[in-house]
Amino acid sequence: MYGSLDISVGGMIAQRTRMQVIAANIANANVLEDTEGNFSPYLRRATMIEPGDPTATTEQGRALGVHVADIRIVEGSLARRYDPSHPYADKDGYLMVPDINPIVEQLNAMEASRAYEANVAAAETAKTMMTSALRLLA
Amino acid sequence: MGIEGLSEFGGMEALEATIRFSGRRQRLVAHNIANISTPDFLQTDLSIKDFQAELGRAIDERRERGGGPIDLSSVGQSEPKQRSNLLFPDHNNRDIERLMQDQAENLMVYRTAIDLLRSRAEMMRSTLAGRV
Repeated sequence: MYGSLDISVGGMIAQRTRMQVIAANIANANVLEDTEGNFSPYLRRATMIEPGDPTATTEQGRALGVHVADIRIVEGSLARRYDPSHPYADKDGYLMVPDINPIVEQLNAMEASRAYEANVAAAETAKTMMTSALRLLA
Repeated sequence: MGIEGLSEFGGMEALEATIRFSGRRQRLVAHNIANISTPDFLQTDLSIKDFQAELGRAIDERRERGGGPIDLSSVGQSEPKQRSNLLFPDHNNRDIERLMQDQAENLMVYRTAIDLLRSRAEMMRSTLAGRV
């Protein structure tokens, strides 16, 4: 039964990480420079979620659950924008900006939020089952 | 029915098997929920129908033997079955309602089995108190 709780907590961690990446994408949607002040438009990040829990100590535990395998930088996720007055614009008046669609990010955030809630519900069920089993001893 | 009849009645073993099955199924339901947004993930679930059939066979076998413990070695050991949903491009079944239903049903079965087991334990306790 504790394994069930581990799985749900793993799911909550994965969805929370996903939400952090989405928040980072939205927050950096207009970032054009790196920390050194050089022109380097922010590239969109994507959370790679895979089944299984590599940190589990048992074979069964490693087979069940979910984990964040990687937070990948989406290469080439840039869009061309016409802004001749911008200091980073090329000779034709275009500059490369982060290709982050706020609607897509919002939808992903909603999905992550609902999935997080579903994991909380599963954890609550596991807790209820454990409480019922422990009441047998009382 | 004597004190030994209460524990050898067969009901306790069947309830224990049901509790084990529900606990195992809860792990799979939690696993399915945790992977609801994992691409290409195929959900797995235990068949309640198969479990009930196996338990029924074990109880019938005990009845034919005329008593004794129920042989539960093959009950609830079946492999989980995969289920997919063609509506999603990666076939991962993202029907959250179905997952919540699985969870609610499983919890009800678990609680019922626990309550029945507790009432049986209470009966044993009462019997023992009556004898002392």
